[in-house]
Amino acid sequence: MSVFYLVAFLAIFFALMTIFTKNPVHSVLYLVITFFTLTVHYILLNAQFLAVVNFIVYMGAIIVLFLFVMMLLNLNEEAEPVKSNLVKIMGAIAGMCLLATLLGAFRVIEPSNEMVAAHADIGLVENLGKVLFNEFLLPFEISSILLLAAMIGAVLLAKKDVKKA
Amino acid sequence: MGAIITLSVLGILVLYLGLFKAKNALLPVTLLGLAVALGFTLADWNKEAEPQFSGMVIFDHLALSFTVLSIVVTGLILLLSKEYFTSISKNVAEYYCLILFSLTGAVLVNSYHNFVMLFVGIEIMSVALYILVGIRRTDFASNEAALKYFLMGAFSTGFLLFGITLLYGATGTFDLEGLRAYVMTATEISPLFYGGILLLLCGLCFKVGVAPFHFWTPDVYDGAPILITSFMSTVVKVASFVGFLRLFGTVMVPLSDFWTPVLLTIIIITLFVGNISALMQSSFKRMMAYSSISHAGYMLFAIVALGIESASSILVYATAYSLASVIAFGALILVKRETGSEQFEAFNGLGKRKPLLAAALTVAMLSLAGIPLTAGFVGKFMMFSNVMGTYNVMLLVLAAVNAAIGIYYYLHVVVNMYFRESTADAEQTALPISVNYIVVLGIAALLTLAIGVYPDCLIGILL
Repeated sequence: MSVFYLVAFLAIFFALMTIFTKNPVHSVLYLVITFFTLTVHYILLNAQFLAVVNFIVYMGAIIVLFLFVMMLLNLNEEAEPVKSNLVKIMGAIAGMCLLATLLGAFRVIEPSNEMVAAHADIGLVENLGKVLFNEFLLPFEISSILLLAAMIGAVLLAKKDVKKA
Repeated sequence: MGAIITLSVLGILVLYLGLFKAKNALLPVTLLGLAVALGFTLADWNKEAEPQFSGMVIFDHLALSFTVLSIVVTGLILLLSKEYFTSISKNVAEYYCLILFSLTGAVLVNSYHNFVMLFVGIEIMSVALYILVGIRRTDFASNEAALKYFLMGAFSTGFLLFGITLLYGATGTFDLEGLRAYVMTATEISPLFYGGILLLLCGLCFKVGVAPFHFWTPDVYDGAPILITSFMSTVVKVASFVGFLRLFGTVMVPLSDFWTPVLLTIIIITLFVGNISALMQSSFKRMMAYSSISHAGYMLFAIVALGIESASSILVYATAYSLASVIAFGALILVKRETGSEQFEAFNGLGKRKPLLAAALTVAMLSLAGIPLTAGFVGKFMMFSNVMGTYNVMLLVLAAVNAAIGIYYYLHVVVNMYFRESTADAEQTALPISVNYIVVLGIAALLTLAIGVYPDCLIGILL
């Protein structure tokens, strides 16, 4: 349990640092650490597949992409758009409302939920595969259309126009 | 199920046709495929409806009727597309392919029985649209619209997913039947469930574009190519409503005390924001965008007053709205081609220049405004009578005020067409209307009138 509290504290701390730091590159680096703490959480929950995917896809691929874009855009403090105080106050109120709603919802979660405790190794790759190819076969197959559509779009939007001679 | 497979395979087939430069075959093949999908759908009508593929999809009458509607409307829009796509882009095959994929997503949303399918369906529908909206790469408005739509869409998907997660946390199932059993039998509904409902509501309201989640709608509808706008505001919007209705109709009924006030507030804000903003517009396309927001508000009436008539009233309203939108956007394409403008002034004198086109557009506008003898009136009437059944007088009065505002801006177009003189150069550049436009606008206008005169043919389907 003590490991959990340490990692949870680190996760929240680095998540806050992501928001509060002024330098965008630092912000992304803090985000990497946040994702790493989440990976540790997944391992603690015995969800190995999720941990690996989170590690490779989020921490590896997506964040590196983020960093590259950040460096290409050359953002700095002067380029940051100025937001009026009214917007900030409204944002804060709305965010707090959402937080209060979610905390209210989360207060009933118990660690020894019978649904979770009965399937302790539900997050292992083997079980995931079994569910994916039995019960969730249709959504698994249909997702290919989603990926195909995204792929067509990427090619369509990024391809250079061939000039006719 | 046959419809889903046909549409997905058709999309890939169309891509191959584009690869082998068979441009003239694109439209006939697509329409043929749509007809086959339509046939599969109609053939399922008399079968016993039960969840298929371990409870993933269900093709009950609700799903089938809306699938037919979306396939027919897509067919009408594609018929209009013949010259339109070639004029704005070289990649015509990709256009058809993406529209077909988006339609597949819409069919999935119509027929989902499991949250996973709802999510996958909405994503397929939206991802294809993000691309279609931004397909004019050199046009800044189109790029802006695509980026805005993408960011807002991704944001709202986050809400939707979080809502689904919370519902799963409370019940341990993604299945609609399982959720329904939980709501019916649980001694105490978990607070997680309530949080989930609110987040799902936010996510779905984003997707259907009702206030206060509407701010992406005008810019996106305005920036997208006209035909894509008409596809978005008809097929995609209606499918999202069916998803909404299916979720709330099967699962959330016993908890209506919790979400009704939220939805009521949303409806009232939507009606006023949509109608008053539409009143201020000088561009026809933007006016249609805001009017689509207000129509979304009217369609939510059926969900706030859930009953046995909800499904059929949404069907009638959605049919009326889709047909009228197809006419309006089709007419806008023709007018824009002649005058190069999307403003109301572009319609000046259309009654003299193109009497038939003006007549069709008049029917569409009257239907959108809800004047008797058109389909729009029947739809509005059913929505209002739903609310009347729950004795919600305040909503009824506010809705009537808004309907009156609506009549003003819809008739603005009609007045411009018949009582204003056209500019000189518009008469010089008058172009002939091609056959496919005459066919589509004619069919849509006749159907609008037919449903208005004899509404029972449509109402009876889902009762």
